[in-house]
Amino acid sequence: MKIETERFVEKAKEGLANESQREVLSRLPVLFKGLRDYAMSTLPDARAALDTGAAIRTNAIARMPELLAQFEENITKNGVTVLWAEDYDDAKEIVLKLAKERGVNMITKGKSMLTEEMGLNAELIASGIDTFETDLGEFIVQQAKRTPFHIVGPAVNITTDEIADLFVKVMGVERTMDLNELTMQARDFLRHKFLSAQMGITGVNMAVAETGTIVLVENEGNIRYSTSAPKTHVAVMGIEKVVPTMNDALHMLRLLTRSCTGQAISSYISLINGPKRPDDIDGPEEVFLVIVDGGRSKIYADPEFREVLQCIKCGSCLNSCPVWTKVGGYAYGWVYSGPIGAVLNPLLVGEDRAKDLYFATSLCGTCKSVCPAGIDHPKLLLKHRERRAFGDKTFGGKKPPLTERLIMSIWSWGLKGNGRYRLGSRLFRLAIKPFVSNGKLTRLPEPGRGFTEVRDLPEPPSKTFRDHWRDAVERKTDGEERSTT
Amino acid sequence: MNTHVALFIPCLVDQFLPDIGTDTARLLRRLGVSVSYDPRQTCCGQPMINAGRTDKARTLAQRFIDIFYDASKDSAVVAPSGSCVYTVTRHYPELLEGEYKKKALELAGRVYELSDYLVNVLGVTDTGSGFTGSVAYHHSCHIVRGLGIMAEPIALMDAVPGAQMLFLPDMDVCCGFGGEFSANYPEISGAMVEDKVNKAVATGAEYLVLAEPGCILNIRGYVEKQGLPLKVLHLAQVLATESGTMGKEAAS
Ligand code: SF4
Repeated sequence: MKIETERFVEKAKEGLANESQREVLSRLPVLFKGLRDYAMSTLPDARAALDTGAAIRTNAIARMPELLAQFEENITKNGVTVLWAEDYDDAKEIVLKLAKERGVNMITKGKSMLTEEMGLNAELIASGIDTFETDLGEFIVQQAKRTPFHIVGPAVNITTDEIADLFVKVMGVERTMDLNELTMQARDFLRHKFLSAQMGITGVNMAVAETGTIVLVENEGNIRYSTSAPKTHVAVMGIEKVVPTMNDALHMLRLLTRSCTGQAISSYISLINGPKRPDDIDGPEEVFLVIVDGGRSKIYADPEFREVLQCIKCGSCLNSCPVWTKVGGYAYGWVYSGPIGAVLNPLLVGEDRAKDLYFATSLCGTCKSVCPAGIDHPKLLLKHRERRAFGDKTFGGKKPPLTERLIMSIWSWGLKGNGRYRLGSRLFRLAIKPFVSNGKLTRLPEPGRGFTEVRDLPEPPSKTFRDHWRDAVERKTDGEERSTT
Repeated sequence: MNTHVALFIPCLVDQFLPDIGTDTARLLRRLGVSVSYDPRQTCCGQPMINAGRTDKARTLAQRFIDIFYDASKDSAVVAPSGSCVYTVTRHYPELLEGEYKKKALELAGRVYELSDYLVNVLGVTDTGSGFTGSVAYHHSCHIVRGLGIMAEPIALMDAVPGAQMLFLPDMDVCCGFGGEFSANYPEISGAMVEDKVNKAVATGAEYLVLAEPGCILNIRGYVEKQGLPLKVLHLAQVLATESGTMGKEAAS
């Protein structure tokens, strides 16, 4: 996917100005967060369940290399061919080769964020292979030539009106605004694709090391179809998806479906161990698993950022984020948006390119409070800021400009002694004098401009707290009343 | 009661909102606490941490510990701000090493956000406040999620006989301050504070009460720019109100 993380501010403003999008977004926290909160409350102890989820994912990522080896061994025993890819290009080449060797001309795809990262669809289509996203939201996004707006609901922002027009254009159907009708149109269209596709490509929600099982979670049956109708199933997963045991996977499932869509369980959960066995009535004849590094081992190697890999892409940090629910998903300029995008994208596309993602947040911590995987987003956002401040090169960061560093140095110097602080406070009052009217600062120049664009600032009172205190103390020692306000 | 508190008055309060500081001191004294203030204190370093400048924050953290560690050995440090308390109690131990880290961890055990101190240390909910008016309460991020303090300010407000508490929907959703965030991303932060204020106004309350100075600058600043009738107060100002003085002090 094209990287546009540098355009955050511009795209955020576009998002804020888009009224229909704002309208949709204003309902998301009520809907998704409400459903999520309710679903979590059906657990006997929601906080303990989240903490257990965090522990499972922390353990899984800490033991990732060992678990991947165990997983590979077991899934290979189950009859799946495992192929390793170091980066996106490797992975695309592997998938393309598999398709070409089999003379594939049509592929149905289950939703996968990793293949979005890779830009797999574009590559397949460019090689003349008809490739169809089959998750309804992802299908809409693909046909509308857009990018996913939300990691779980990629088309939540697209209105029924737009979808109705799109379906007429793409499928030549009669225009309808009826939601069931629209779904049936897509279903009908895709059914034919499922039946003619020779290959199904899916992502992987979890990889169970102990049993060599791939877990796939969905609500529409399109993944089940893609993994059973075509002769060949190719699953693509990032190295971080592994969990130690089936028990762990089941606990994460409880949290995943609740966090994603507020469901105790989703409509379909597929546990895939391997291709069709002789006495099975259906299933693919062959199953390939492409395990992709794609920048993840570099994150793994960094103890401060490793925890980002614990994410299970449930999307609940987006739904409850007060920034995401204002600017929307496009602003983040790449596959992942919201709090997880703000911590993950910089590690995959570069610290400098994604600077606004980790600065444009109030660090309110709602993300952390809902995360089922134990990710401390505010801490990670501050880590990004710290790395940038010191020009850390690991993830593509340069030092901030000299002016910025100078301001910080002077400011910090001024706070290191009471005398300097008082002097600074007096100088500050003098400097802003010209901007005061009616006891208020209504239009400050930079760096205060942004603040007073939206708010008025009170003129700093002539007496600070410490002045009041000193007066009160003196009053006491002198034994006479002095005027305090 | 022979209880002592060393006041930790954040720089924002010192410079822009000194009333919150004087009200905090007044309130504590009224509850029988003796109060001291060391004027060497400046800023806890939160803005530096938020800017990623852990080097600068570290120096300020050490300075803070030098000022407060010994002085508070037998007492508590209390601040009318959750985010500054969060900086001291949660960030300092991570920021520092060796002797300072040890001191930071120990100090963290005796630094309190105001409502936490009143309810959980003093064991007070009825502060004898003479405040009257209808109130919506907003939970600031660093207090509610950072420090996990939610019931305390509500209990304190509930015990004010003249306060009529109204329900504020999404009372724990961020108001959009976030320090430099509010200056650097005015459109986003503006949309957040607009949301917060609209909801507060819709409750019909005369007052919006909260316990975080930064959020007060943000919300009050927005309300004033828009010329809305809502009055925004710090919890300390409400609780410190003496009977019969309403309208003179708290609403100023
Ligand atoms: S960071 Fe946590 S809440 Fe956000 S998508 Fe990942 S698992 Fe879900």
